[in-house]
Amino acid sequence: MPIMPIDNHREAMAMGLGALAVTAVAIVTASATGPAFSERLSQQAKAAIAQADAAPVRASFVSANGWPTRHALLSGGEHLSERTRARAARAVGAIPGVGGVHWADGTGFADGRKSSPRPVVCQEDVAGLLRARTIRFEEGSAKIDQASEALIDEVSDALRPCLGSIIAVTGHTDSSGPEPGNLALSRLRADSVRDALIARGIPADGLRTRGVGSRFPVEGLEPTDPANRRIEFSVIATEPVRPTPVDTPGPR
Amino acid sequence: MPIWMELTVLMLVAYAAGIALGWAIWGRAHTGRDADG
Repeated sequence: MPIMPIDNHREAMAMGLGALAVTAVAIVTASATGPAFSERLSQQAKAAIAQADAAPVRASFVSANGWPTRHALLSGGEHLSERTRARAARAVGAIPGVGGVHWADGTGFADGRKSSPRPVVCQEDVAGLLRARTIRFEEGSAKIDQASEALIDEVSDALRPCLGSIIAVTGHTDSSGPEPGNLALSRLRADSVRDALIARGIPADGLRTRGVGSRFPVEGLEPTDPANRRIEFSVIATEPVRPTPVDTPGPR
Repeated sequence: MPIWMELTVLMLVAYAAGIALGWAIWGRAHTGRDADG
Protein backbone atom coordinates (compact mmCIF):
# COMPACT_ATOMS: atom_id res chain seq x y z
CA MET A 1 0.00 0.00 0.00
CA PRO A 2 2.78 2.60 0.52
CA ILE A 3 3.30 2.50 -3.28
CA MET A 4 -0.17 4.02 -3.92
CA PRO A 5 0.56 7.61 -2.82
CA ILE A 6 3.70 7.66 -5.02
CA ASP A 7 1.64 6.38 -7.96
CA ASN A 8 -1.02 9.02 -7.30
CA HIS A 9 1.67 11.68 -7.04
CA ARG A 10 3.19 10.58 -10.36
CA GLU A 11 -0.23 10.50 -12.02
CA ALA A 12 -1.03 13.98 -10.74
CA MET A 13 2.33 15.24 -12.02
CA ALA A 14 1.76 13.61 -15.39
CA MET A 15 -1.74 15.12 -15.65
CA GLY A 16 -0.43 18.54 -14.68
CA LEU A 17 2.35 18.35 -17.28
CA GLY A 18 -0.21 17.17 -19.83
CA ALA A 19 -2.44 20.17 -19.04
CA LEU A 20 0.55 22.49 -19.44
CA ALA A 21 1.43 20.86 -22.76
CA VAL A 22 -2.19 21.21 -23.95
CA THR A 23 -2.21 24.89 -22.93
CA ALA A 24 1.07 25.47 -24.77
CA VAL A 25 -0.23 23.74 -27.91
CA ALA A 26 -3.45 25.80 -27.75
CA ILE A 27 -1.59 29.09 -27.39
CA VAL A 28 0.90 28.28 -30.16
CA THR A 29 -1.88 27.10 -32.51
CA ALA A 30 -4.04 30.14 -31.76
CA SER A 31 -1.10 32.49 -32.29
CA ALA A 32 -0.35 30.84 -35.62
CA THR A 33 -3.91 30.73 -36.98
CA GLY A 34 -5.80 33.37 -34.98
CA PRO A 35 -4.74 36.52 -36.88
CA ALA A 36 -5.56 34.97 -40.27
CA PHE A 37 -8.91 33.70 -38.93
CA SER A 38 -9.97 37.06 -37.51
CA GLU A 39 -8.78 38.80 -40.69
CA ARG A 40 -10.99 36.47 -42.76
CA LEU A 41 -13.97 37.21 -40.45
CA SER A 42 -13.21 40.91 -40.78
CA GLN A 43 -13.36 40.74 -44.58
CA GLN A 44 -16.56 38.68 -44.54
CA ALA A 45 -18.09 41.17 -42.08
CA LYS A 46 -17.17 44.08 -44.35
CA ALA A 47 -18.94 42.39 -47.26
CA ALA A 48 -21.97 41.53 -45.11
CA ILE A 49 -22.24 45.12 -43.85
CA ALA A 50 -22.03 46.46 -47.40
CA GLN A 51 -24.76 44.05 -48.45
CA ALA A 52 -26.94 45.27 -45.56
CA ASP A 53 -26.60 48.87 -46.88
CA ALA A 54 -24.83 49.96 -43.71
CA ALA A 55 -21.41 50.76 -45.19
CA PRO A 56 -20.35 53.34 -42.49
CA VAL A 57 -20.48 50.57 -39.87
CA ARG A 58 -17.11 48.94 -39.18
CA ALA A 59 -16.56 45.56 -37.58
CA SER A 60 -13.46 44.95 -35.50
CA PHE A 61 -12.29 41.47 -34.49
CA VAL A 62 -9.67 42.56 -31.97
CA SER A 63 -10.19 42.20 -28.21
CA ALA A 64 -9.61 45.01 -25.71
CA ASN A 65 -6.05 43.73 -25.15
CA GLY A 66 -5.29 43.67 -28.85
CA TRP A 67 -5.66 39.91 -29.34
CA PRO A 68 -7.51 38.49 -32.35
CA THR A 69 -11.03 37.40 -31.41
CA ARG A 70 -14.11 36.01 -33.16
CA HIS A 71 -16.44 38.40 -31.26
CA ALA A 72 -17.27 41.40 -33.43
CA LEU A 73 -17.20 44.92 -32.06
CA LEU A 74 -19.22 47.24 -34.31
CA SER A 75 -18.64 50.98 -34.50
CA GLY A 76 -19.62 53.90 -36.73
CA GLY A 77 -22.91 54.50 -38.51
CA GLU A 78 -24.34 56.56 -35.63
CA HIS A 79 -26.56 58.51 -38.03
CA LEU A 80 -28.10 55.31 -39.42
CA SER A 81 -31.52 54.18 -38.24
CA GLU A 82 -31.77 51.53 -35.52
CA ARG A 83 -33.30 49.19 -38.06
CA THR A 84 -30.30 49.51 -40.40
CA ARG A 85 -27.87 49.11 -37.50
CA ALA A 86 -29.72 46.01 -36.31
CA ARG A 87 -29.67 44.64 -39.88
CA ALA A 88 -25.90 45.17 -40.06
CA ALA A 89 -25.41 43.49 -36.67
CA ARG A 90 -27.57 40.54 -37.69
CA ALA A 91 -25.66 40.19 -40.97
CA VAL A 92 -22.33 40.11 -39.10
CA GLY A 93 -23.73 37.73 -36.47
CA ALA A 94 -24.88 35.33 -39.20
CA ILE A 95 -21.31 34.83 -40.51
CA PRO A 96 -20.18 31.30 -39.58
CA GLY A 97 -17.54 31.50 -36.85
CA VAL A 98 -18.62 34.85 -35.40
CA GLY A 99 -19.22 34.40 -31.69
CA GLY A 100 -21.25 37.46 -30.79
CA VAL A 101 -21.86 41.03 -31.90
CA HIS A 102 -21.58 44.13 -29.72
CA TRP A 103 -21.71 47.85 -30.43
CA ALA A 104 -18.70 49.87 -29.31
CA ASP A 105 -20.81 52.86 -28.26
CA GLY A 106 -23.00 50.68 -26.06
CA THR A 107 -26.20 52.03 -27.60
CA GLY A 108 -27.34 48.67 -28.77
CA PHE A 109 -26.58 45.03 -28.99
CA ALA A 110 -27.72 42.66 -31.67
CA ASP A 111 -27.12 39.01 -32.15
CA GLY A 112 -27.48 37.20 -35.45
CA ARG A 113 -29.58 34.52 -33.82
CA LYS A 114 -32.18 36.93 -32.45
CA SER A 115 -35.38 37.25 -34.44
CA SER A 116 -36.51 40.59 -35.77
CA PRO A 117 -39.37 42.30 -33.94
CA ARG A 118 -42.05 40.87 -36.21
CA PRO A 119 -44.95 40.86 -33.72
CA VAL A 120 -45.05 44.66 -33.57
CA VAL A 121 -44.91 44.82 -37.37
CA CYS A 122 -47.82 42.40 -37.70
CA GLN A 123 -49.83 44.30 -35.11
CA GLU A 124 -49.36 47.39 -37.28
CA ASP A 125 -50.52 45.36 -40.29
CA VAL A 126 -53.70 44.32 -38.48
CA ALA A 127 -54.28 47.88 -37.23
CA GLY A 128 -53.88 49.06 -40.83
CA LEU A 129 -56.49 46.57 -42.04
CA LEU A 130 -58.97 47.61 -39.37
CA ARG A 131 -58.38 51.35 -39.78
CA ALA A 132 -60.63 51.62 -42.79
CA ARG A 133 -62.89 48.62 -42.20
CA THR A 134 -64.39 46.98 -39.14
CA ILE A 135 -65.46 43.46 -38.31
CA ARG A 136 -69.23 43.74 -38.21
CA PHE A 137 -71.74 41.60 -36.34
CA GLU A 138 -75.41 41.00 -36.80
CA GLU A 139 -77.33 43.41 -34.59
CA GLY A 140 -77.52 42.32 -30.95
CA SER A 141 -75.72 39.09 -31.85
CA ALA A 142 -72.21 37.67 -31.74
CA LYS A 143 -72.52 36.19 -35.22
CA ILE A 144 -69.98 37.70 -37.61
CA ASP A 145 -71.57 39.47 -40.55
CA GLN A 146 -71.09 37.57 -43.81
CA ALA A 147 -69.49 40.66 -45.37
CA SER A 148 -66.76 40.67 -42.70
CA GLU A 149 -65.58 37.12 -43.38
CA ALA A 150 -63.13 38.35 -46.05
CA LEU A 151 -61.72 40.86 -43.56
CA ILE A 152 -61.23 38.06 -41.01
CA ASP A 153 -59.32 36.15 -43.72
CA GLU A 154 -57.01 39.13 -44.20
CA VAL A 155 -56.58 39.61 -40.44
CA SER A 156 -55.64 35.95 -39.95
CA ASP A 157 -53.08 36.24 -42.78
CA ALA A 158 -51.64 39.39 -41.16
CA LEU A 159 -51.46 37.66 -37.76
CA ARG A 160 -49.68 34.61 -39.12
CA PRO A 161 -46.15 36.11 -38.70
CA CYS A 162 -47.02 36.68 -35.01
CA LEU A 163 -47.55 33.00 -34.28
CA GLY A 164 -45.79 32.19 -31.05
CA SER A 165 -46.84 35.46 -29.46
CA ILE A 166 -49.94 36.08 -27.38
CA ILE A 167 -52.60 37.85 -29.42
CA ALA A 168 -55.29 39.65 -27.44
CA VAL A 169 -58.71 40.04 -29.03
CA THR A 170 -60.82 42.71 -27.32
CA GLY A 171 -64.51 43.26 -28.01
CA HIS A 172 -66.16 46.67 -27.62
CA THR A 173 -69.80 47.80 -27.89
CA ASP A 174 -71.54 51.18 -27.97
CA SER A 175 -73.33 52.37 -24.86
CA SER A 176 -76.88 51.79 -26.05
CA GLY A 177 -78.56 49.19 -23.89
CA PRO A 178 -77.73 48.03 -20.38
CA GLU A 179 -74.02 47.67 -19.61
CA PRO A 180 -74.12 44.09 -18.24
CA GLY A 181 -75.63 42.99 -21.55
CA ASN A 182 -73.04 45.00 -23.51
CA LEU A 183 -70.24 43.42 -21.51
CA ALA A 184 -71.49 39.90 -22.19
CA LEU A 185 -72.07 40.70 -25.87
CA SER A 186 -68.60 42.20 -26.33
CA ARG A 187 -67.08 39.08 -24.75
CA LEU A 188 -69.14 36.80 -27.01
CA ARG A 189 -68.10 38.82 -30.07
CA ALA A 190 -64.43 38.55 -29.14
CA ASP A 191 -64.95 34.80 -28.66
CA SER A 192 -66.54 34.40 -32.07
CA VAL A 193 -63.63 36.27 -33.71
CA ARG A 194 -61.24 33.97 -31.86
CA ASP A 195 -63.19 30.93 -33.13
CA ALA A 196 -63.07 32.32 -36.67
CA LEU A 197 -59.28 32.78 -36.38
CA ILE A 198 -58.84 29.25 -35.01
CA ALA A 199 -60.88 27.96 -37.97
CA ARG A 200 -58.34 29.73 -40.21
CA GLY A 201 -55.38 27.96 -38.61
CA ILE A 202 -54.32 30.41 -35.86
CA PRO A 203 -53.43 28.26 -32.80
CA ALA A 204 -55.92 28.60 -29.95
CA ASP A 205 -53.27 28.70 -27.22
CA GLY A 206 -51.90 32.03 -28.46
CA LEU A 207 -55.29 33.78 -28.48
CA ARG A 208 -56.79 35.60 -25.48
CA THR A 209 -60.19 37.23 -25.55
CA ARG A 210 -61.93 39.77 -23.36
CA GLY A 211 -64.96 41.98 -23.60
CA VAL A 212 -64.97 45.48 -22.17
CA GLY A 213 -68.53 46.57 -23.12
CA SER A 214 -68.79 50.29 -23.78
CA ARG A 215 -66.14 51.38 -21.27
CA PHE A 216 -63.57 52.39 -23.89
CA PRO A 217 -65.25 54.29 -26.73
CA VAL A 218 -63.19 55.37 -29.74
CA GLU A 219 -61.48 58.68 -29.03
CA GLY A 220 -63.52 61.57 -30.34
CA LEU A 221 -66.75 59.56 -30.68
CA GLU A 222 -69.88 59.72 -28.55
CA PRO A 223 -70.25 56.53 -26.46
CA THR A 224 -73.59 55.86 -28.17
CA ASP A 225 -72.06 55.97 -31.66
CA PRO A 226 -72.47 52.55 -33.38
CA ALA A 227 -68.86 52.93 -34.67
CA ASN A 228 -67.78 51.99 -31.15
CA ARG A 229 -68.84 48.40 -31.85
CA ARG A 230 -65.50 46.98 -32.80
CA ILE A 231 -62.84 44.33 -32.26
CA GLU A 232 -59.26 45.31 -31.42
CA PHE A 233 -56.17 43.15 -31.71
CA SER A 234 -52.95 43.58 -29.78
CA VAL A 235 -49.83 41.52 -29.45
CA ILE A 236 -49.27 41.37 -25.71
CA ALA A 237 -46.12 39.24 -25.60
CA THR A 238 -43.31 39.40 -28.09
CA GLU A 239 -40.54 37.66 -26.13
CA PRO A 240 -40.58 34.34 -24.34
CA VAL A 241 -40.96 34.92 -20.62
CA ARG A 242 -37.72 34.30 -18.73
CA PRO A 243 -37.94 33.26 -15.11
CA THR A 244 -36.72 35.90 -12.68
CA PRO A 245 -34.25 34.76 -10.00
CA VAL A 246 -37.17 34.72 -7.55
CA ASP A 247 -39.10 32.26 -9.74
CA THR A 248 -36.11 30.00 -10.29
CA PRO A 249 -35.90 27.26 -7.71
CA GLY A 250 -32.49 27.38 -6.05
CA PRO A 251 -30.64 25.00 -3.77
CA ARG A 252 -32.02 24.86 -0.26
CA MET B 1 -12.57 36.63 -25.36
CA PRO B 2 -9.40 36.23 -27.49
CA ILE B 3 -9.10 33.20 -29.75
CA TRP B 4 -6.13 31.77 -27.82
CA MET B 5 -8.13 31.79 -24.60
CA GLU B 6 -11.15 30.11 -26.23
CA LEU B 7 -8.92 27.47 -27.80
CA THR B 8 -7.08 26.88 -24.51
CA VAL B 9 -10.33 26.42 -22.57
CA LEU B 10 -11.71 24.14 -25.29
CA MET B 11 -8.58 21.98 -25.42
CA LEU B 12 -8.28 21.76 -21.63
CA VAL B 13 -11.91 20.67 -21.41
CA ALA B 14 -11.26 18.02 -24.09
CA TYR B 15 -8.10 16.93 -22.21
CA ALA B 16 -10.00 16.65 -18.91
CA ALA B 17 -12.77 14.70 -20.66
CA GLY B 18 -10.14 12.35 -22.13
CA ILE B 19 -8.55 11.81 -18.70
CA ALA B 20 -11.98 11.13 -17.15
CA LEU B 21 -12.89 8.71 -19.94
CA GLY B 22 -9.53 6.93 -19.66
CA TRP B 23 -9.91 6.63 -15.90
CA ALA B 24 -13.47 5.30 -16.30
CA ILE B 25 -12.32 2.62 -18.76
CA TRP B 26 -8.89 1.56 -17.41
CA GLY B 27 -8.19 3.36 -14.14
CA ARG B 28 -11.17 1.96 -12.26
CA ALA B 29 -10.36 -1.65 -13.22
CA HIS B 30 -6.71 -1.09 -12.27
CA THR B 31 -7.70 0.32 -8.84
CA GLY B 32 -10.04 -2.63 -8.32
CA ARG B 33 -7.20 -5.14 -8.98
CA ASP B 34 -4.97 -3.30 -6.49
CA ALA B 35 -7.66 -3.50 -3.84
CA ASP B 36 -8.08 -7.24 -4.45
CA GLY B 37 -4.37 -7.86 -4.28
